[in-house]
Amino acid sequence: MIAIEELTKAYGSDVAVDDVSMVVEAGALTVIVGASGAGKSTLMRMVNRLVEPTSGRVLIEGEDAALLPVHELRRRIGYVIQNHGLFPHRTVAQNIATVPTLLGWDRQRIAARVEELLHLFQLDPATFARRHPYELSGGQQQRVGVARALAAEPRLLLMDEPFGALDPLVRGKAQEDLKAIQRQLGTTIIFVTHDMEEAIRLGDRIAVMDGGRLLQYAPPAEILVHPATPFVGALIGVGDRPFRLLSLETVAEEVEPGEAEGAAVAADADLRNVLAELLWSRRDAAPVAEHDGRVIGRVTLARLIERAGAPT
Amino acid sequence: MAASPARTAPIANPGLDKLGVVVAALLAVGAASPFAVFRANRIVAGEAKPFFEALPPSAAVLMALVVLAAAGVALLKTPARVRLAAAIIFFVVVAGLIGVAADRLTPPDAPYARVAPAAGFWTLAFAGSILFADSVVRLKLGPATRLLALALGAAAFALALWSGVWSEVSILKEYATRADVFWREAGAHLVLAVGSLAAAMAVGLPLGVLIARKAGWRAPVLNTLNAIQTIPSIALFGILIGPLGWISSHVPGAAALGVHGIGAAPAMLALFLYSLLPMAANTVVGLAQAPRDVVDAADGMGMTSRQRLFSVELPLALPVILTAVRIVLVQNIGMATIAALIGGGGFGVFVFAGLGQTAPDLILLGALPTVFLAFAAAIVLDAAVELATGARP
Repeated sequence: MIAIEELTKAYGSDVAVDDVSMVVEAGALTVIVGASGAGKSTLMRMVNRLVEPTSGRVLIEGEDAALLPVHELRRRIGYVIQNHGLFPHRTVAQNIATVPTLLGWDRQRIAARVEELLHLFQLDPATFARRHPYELSGGQQQRVGVARALAAEPRLLLMDEPFGALDPLVRGKAQEDLKAIQRQLGTTIIFVTHDMEEAIRLGDRIAVMDGGRLLQYAPPAEILVHPATPFVGALIGVGDRPFRLLSLETVAEEVEPGEAEGAAVAADADLRNVLAELLWSRRDAAPVAEHDGRVIGRVTLARLIERAGAPT
Repeated sequence: MAASPARTAPIANPGLDKLGVVVAALLAVGAASPFAVFRANRIVAGEAKPFFEALPPSAAVLMALVVLAAAGVALLKTPARVRLAAAIIFFVVVAGLIGVAADRLTPPDAPYARVAPAAGFWTLAFAGSILFADSVVRLKLGPATRLLALALGAAAFALALWSGVWSEVSILKEYATRADVFWREAGAHLVLAVGSLAAAMAVGLPLGVLIARKAGWRAPVLNTLNAIQTIPSIALFGILIGPLGWISSHVPGAAALGVHGIGAAPAMLALFLYSLLPMAANTVVGLAQAPRDVVDAADGMGMTSRQRLFSVELPLALPVILTAVRIVLVQNIGMATIAALIGGGGFGVFVFAGLGQTAPDLILLGALPTVFLAFAAAIVLDAAVELATGARP
């Protein structure tokens, strides 16, 4: 659990982060969202003290971050940035081994950990371990960047616009992989982005910031339905609101008994994609199937429309 | 593939190589100019001989054929490999024939007679170097191949010297009478050039790191080093005579270590001072060009600033720092020649002695090894820079 208490960062008279308090639950993926200059990166960088707070404090599992030796603190916290920041003169394996090496792990343990992570991120060690970062695609570089951050098994991972430089297709895949890996490892993640779509897609909770202040800190559904301020509402976008609400739920939760014509939709597809599919194929309902092809029922257009509205 | 007329029209001679025209013209001038010059002794005015007089008939025919062939290869758009082969064969033949000419023109029992390469030989050699360098560039040889080529070239040159084909050539006659001194001065020259480089690295690198970190010190330090660079070398020697002379006579042990107002000490110190600017400035530039994201990631992962310097910033700066080493070494090999003016030794001893005696062969005995050393140093360090950069963009 990370407790941020009355945290402020001022550069002269310029206040970048203004009296922010919030609690990040252990094992949760918390997204800080806001426009550029909102103070979200500064807030995150105060957690591993790349920025020292002007006032306030950060408690990591009860320990005041300011009282820990700064290099030890940072070695315990994973750190991923937008342009991955991989060391261009080192191989993929050496990049991933950075923090374990700093921590003085023995060679065998490092090698085993590197191999494990390459497998986890679907990078074949035989192919990729000895490559240099410039020999990888953007998506592969980003995966190595995340693998490097996770190498020393940190309980907390900080990610600053980690997928900002990826093209949309690769980006979607990276988001899915991150969700899966987080579920598997149970790592607490603080994720900074300017993209509300990405925030809603990834976040267990979303912190909306503007002008250095924390405007709202709540689960995505609540932010969508009850935006705390007009600014939060504008960030969500009125036109996209019903679709974003639908995107939070999978079709498995809305299956009803019955049959329907045409191709089946996957049970783990989100409702927004299913709505799009029904509209596009001009159907009122579609069968829902598990991955093994077993049909478990159907989903209807009427049900989706019902779910897309604000709760009454 | 159909080329449009508009595209081909601007090229006047589509079949001719542009640089090849220059090379062929130089070859023509070189062949028409005197190939070797005969002098009854080393300082009198000589008698210049064109190649067909300087060489026996069969050798003259070989020479004519080789020059014509090289001109043909250079003029036409031939593949780079063919051009390289032509340049190498051309060099071997012309270099061999100057030895033959020296043998032929030197009368028996005339120990003071001198046969020197004349303008024609040097022009031909220059034309050959252009053809050679151009073909090497076109072949885009890798660093390892270039080092191998340098080693082979040096071995071939050493073999030619050892075989005696050039033993009657004037420069080697000058060498023969002072072989001991030559090697002593060669050693002194290397000590001056490499020693001052080592000292400049030992001081310039840490200084560069320091001013890269402390922005406030950067301008004063670099401006001071810049000011030193603008002092002409002779003037710097003069400036150093006073303080070094004082140190020599007042600091115990300094004189025993070879510190005097004139001699090797001020020469070494001057070369060292000149080398500081490239070393420190390139270190600053190299450190500054480490990408911001990479430095941020290094900090974020918990590297100390020392760890960041040694495992991230310096390795990334290495190509730029090696470029400074290249600049300094090549510069110092050349500048060490001046050291002879104040008794610092080195190849300059022959250059200045030759100037004093109006003996051009003696000047060349000092100048040619200096040029070869600088050239070899440039090739070795260029290769090192490329190896350090790797395939990294």
